[in-house]
Amino acid sequence: MVKFYENYFSYDFAWPAVTLAYFLRYPNPYSSHVLASDTLSRHLDPTTGKLTTVRLLLKRGKLPAAVARFLPKIKESYILESSEVDIRNQTMVTETRNLDWEGVISVVENQVYTPSYSSHNNSSDGEKTDVKLTVKISSRVGSNAREKVADAASSGGLWASWTTGSIQKSIEVIGMKRMREGLGRSKEGMKVVLEGLREKGLLAAMQERRERRLADKEEGVQSKWSSIWRGATGMNEGDKLRKDSDE
Amino acid sequence: MSSSLAPECSEVKERYDQCFIKWYSEKYLRGEAKTDDCKKLFDIYKECLSKAMKAKGIDTMLAEARKNSKDLDMDIGQSR
Repeated sequence: MVKFYENYFSYDFAWPAVTLAYFLRYPNPYSSHVLASDTLSRHLDPTTGKLTTVRLLLKRGKLPAAVARFLPKIKESYILESSEVDIRNQTMVTETRNLDWEGVISVVENQVYTPSYSSHNNSSDGEKTDVKLTVKISSRVGSNAREKVADAASSGGLWASWTTGSIQKSIEVIGMKRMREGLGRSKEGMKVVLEGLREKGLLAAMQERRERRLADKEEGVQSKWSSIWRGATGMNEGDKLRKDSDE
Repeated sequence: MSSSLAPECSEVKERYDQCFIKWYSEKYLRGEAKTDDCKKLFDIYKECLSKAMKAKGIDTMLAEARKNSKDLDMDIGQSR
């Protein structure tokens, strides 16, 4: 079983800025669950001008209780992010997928960023960027011999009264719900980074992020972000997290 | 910029990230990039990161994930 999700949205910023913000988006006030990001490879194709990047993200795992009670505690998970910027065609294509626990749930997210040229706006609107998002969520619990965890779990105990199909379906439904919630946060995070770039310029934004990262490390607090970046006060991350864990 | 999953690599990552962002915004986005100016810094960062990933067993997980997703007709990190 597989679930698909498709969504279109846009940022009120020019395409080059949005692609830059994509690389700069961590940390931001909405990304406290992202613990680290590393670049694994980066390649510029001199003939096509395309820039491909592969990054590894480490996220604090927050599996909902409904799923987590069947499975070993998932504290963190790795996400592989690949992107390709095509400067000549003004297109950025990104993909993220979870690396571990993919036998339990696999979430593959694709985004395409292009400059927006709206038909009802005659000026070639260079100040907006369209995003097409597609997400594929699938659970293969119990159907994949490689997944020892799932196999062991599905052979008895709490799983006994469930069919494999209904377990997969439940996991996919929960995964879809979490993905939608996460999507809102990731958009807000991008906006904060974009506003920072616009208001303060690139160098100032980078310097502030560096200081913030060092301060976070020392104090272990992320809350100070909200006082530095405007627009970060409208959301209560703490409440959100508590609500999630009640699921 | 964000932290590295290997704290011991944070300094070299920082230097590379700064270089990349400067190159990306000042050259690449203007269509003026012919070469990757930050390759040297990346190699230093990558050397540090590779060691850490090996020690944490992440390299094995990555290889496994690439293999698995190939089975499923998906590709990870390959150029499209």
